[in-house]
Amino acid sequence: MGKPPPITNRIRELRESAGGMSQSALAEAIGVTRQTVIAIELGKYSPSLESAFRIARVFETDVESVFGWQAPPLG
Amino acid sequence: MSLLTALRNTPFREKTAWAMAAILTGGAAFYLNLVISASQALGRTSPPFIGFVIAYVVVIVIASVAVMSVLAGTSPREADAPADEREKIIADKAGNWSGYVIAAAAFGSLWHYGVHGDGHMLFHLVFLSLMLGQIAEYVFQIMLYRRDV
Repeated sequence: MGKPPPITNRIRELRESAGGMSQSALAEAIGVTRQTVIAIELGKYSPSLESAFRIARVFETDVESVFGWQAPPLG
Repeated sequence: MSLLTALRNTPFREKTAWAMAAILTGGAAFYLNLVISASQALGRTSPPFIGFVIAYVVVIVIASVAVMSVLAGTSPREADAPADEREKIIADKAGNWSGYVIAAAAFGSLWHYGVHGDGHMLFHLVFLSLMLGQIAEYVFQIMLYRRDV
């Protein structure tokens, strides 16, 4: 099993809470392609800070409610 | 998943990368075949076909424009949109890696010239190196679209 991505997200969950918003609708709302939204959801691509804020704004929440960071152990 | 669904789910820029890689691979294979056949007929490396190379580049450009137009017609919104942040990273990485491919192929061509002193072969190898670099760029783009960025 590969190591989990350092940046986690709740986008899929938030889309479902927002009445089943489609990936295409989210992509259009933040100005990226649907494939980029898929890559972000799967943790394959970490979005820019601007896109992270845009995603949070779409779901009317803050960035930390959408994204998490699993910090590596110190030392 | 049907071919149509797979095509619909493929990003526009990945589709164009597939198309360009196919066109250029076909072109490179044709050129290579031409050089080998001409060289075999002459019994030595054939001289550069300058006129042919110019015509060939024009044909490649026309074919590319035609294929791009067809692809843009199937997904006009995607074709019209500028590359997003992930697509820009993919293009940058692919361009960077393909630079190494061109450099390696060009140095290989120069090494061949240094050993054999065959100027005609140098021309063909450098021309093919350029094509190989371009093909590599599209192949790297496809790889990056299909894997992590």
